[in-house]
Amino acid sequence: MPVAVVAGIAVLIAAFWVIHWYTTPLPPKPLSQDTTTVVVSMMTGLPASEFDAVGQGTANNLIKPVSGTKLLGSTGKPEVFYLGAEYCPFCAAERWPLIIALSRFGTFTGLQTTTSSSTDVYPNTMTFTFRKAQYTSQYIDFRAVETTDRDQNPLQTPSTSEQKLVSQYNTAGSIPFVDFANQYVFTGATYSPDTITGMSWQAVAGTLQQPDSTQAKAIIGSANLITAAVCKITGDQPATVCASATIQNLEKTLK
Amino acid sequence: MSRPQLSALLVSLAGVAVSIYLTLLHYAGVVPGCPLTGPINCEAVLSSSYAVIGGTAVPTSAAGIIWFGVSALLWIRPPGRAHLVWSGIGLATVLYLVFIEIVRLGVICLWCTAAHVLVVVILLIALASRPATNPVRE
Repeated sequence: MPVAVVAGIAVLIAAFWVIHWYTTPLPPKPLSQDTTTVVVSMMTGLPASEFDAVGQGTANNLIKPVSGTKLLGSTGKPEVFYLGAEYCPFCAAERWPLIIALSRFGTFTGLQTTTSSSTDVYPNTMTFTFRKAQYTSQYIDFRAVETTDRDQNPLQTPSTSEQKLVSQYNTAGSIPFVDFANQYVFTGATYSPDTITGMSWQAVAGTLQQPDSTQAKAIIGSANLITAAVCKITGDQPATVCASATIQNLEKTLK
Repeated sequence: MSRPQLSALLVSLAGVAVSIYLTLLHYAGVVPGCPLTGPINCEAVLSSSYAVIGGTAVPTSAAGIIWFGVSALLWIRPPGRAHLVWSGIGLATVLYLVFIEIVRLGVICLWCTAAHVLVVVILLIALASRPATNPVRE
C-alpha cells in the first residue's frame, strides 16, 4: 500500500509537469518598432494628475539608502544603474515603472518589446528590453546591463566597477538591481509580475490611463517611488516633476 | 509509545518547525527577485498570490502549523482511523499546492517541498501502522 501511494504521487507530479508544458502559451511576437513607439508614448505621456492620483499605490517600497562615492555617468551627471536580464520576470515587471519614471527626466529611444522566459515563474510577462536603448537627459545618466536574453544566453556584461557595485550593495546577487548614484538602491520588483501576466503591451499601457486600475496602482505607484529616488539624486530637479506634493511626500519615506 | 507513533510525532514537530519558518519568512516580507536558480525559486512561490489563503492575508504556511500541530496531538494516541483521515486531508492539500507550484507558477519552493514530504511521510506511517481490519469468519 505505501509503495502504491508513493508511486501514485510520483505519477501525479509527472502529470503536473506535462500539464505545465502543454498549457504554457508560446511567447507572442515582439511588436513592430512603430507600434512599440505608440505604446511607449502611452506610458510616457501620462499627465501629472495621474501620478498624483496614484501616489505610492500598491507598490512595495524596496528602496534603501546607502552611502558611497556618488556614482557619476559618462556625461558627469548622477547615474542610475540598472542590472537585469531579459529572462527574469521580476525585471520584466520593473522595467515598466523604470521607463515611466526615467522618462520624466529624459527621453528613451531604441526600446524594444520582449517577454520574460517561457519556462520561469510568471512566464512570458510582457515587457521591454534595454539592450539597445539609448537614454538622454539633462539631469541624469542611465546605464543598463541586460546580462542574458530570454533564453538565458549571455548578452551584456557589467564592467568591473559595476560588478563591484553589485557585490557591495546586492550581496544576494538578485536581479533586478537598481542603483541611484550610490545613494539609494533596490533589488527585486516593487510589485508582483502577476499584475500584468497574460496581458498584451497595449492592454497594460491602456490600464495605466486609469488611476483606479490594479495595474496603474502597482506600476505608477512604483514609478512614483523611483521618481522620488531620482529627485533625491538630482537635488529635486526638475521642479516640474520633483516639487509635486506626491513626490515630496515619497521622498520623505526614502529618508 | 510505539516506534511508528514516536516517528510520526517527531515528523509532525519537524513540520511545525518548517511551517513556522515559512510563516516568519512571509511576515518578514521576502523580496521577490530572480536568483538564477532555474525551476527552484522559493521567493517566487512565497511572494505569489497563492502564498496566502484565498481572500485573506494569512499565509498558507500558517495552515501548515495547524495541520502539523493537530497531527502531533493525534500521534500522542495510538494510530487509528482519525490518523488516516487527517493524513488523507494533508495529502489532498499537498497535491493541490504542488499543482499550483508546478502548473500555475512553474517553479518549486524547496522549503515548501520539505513540508510536503513530511506530510507524505506521516501518511505512509499512518498506512503502515493502521489497525488491521477484522478478519472475515468463514
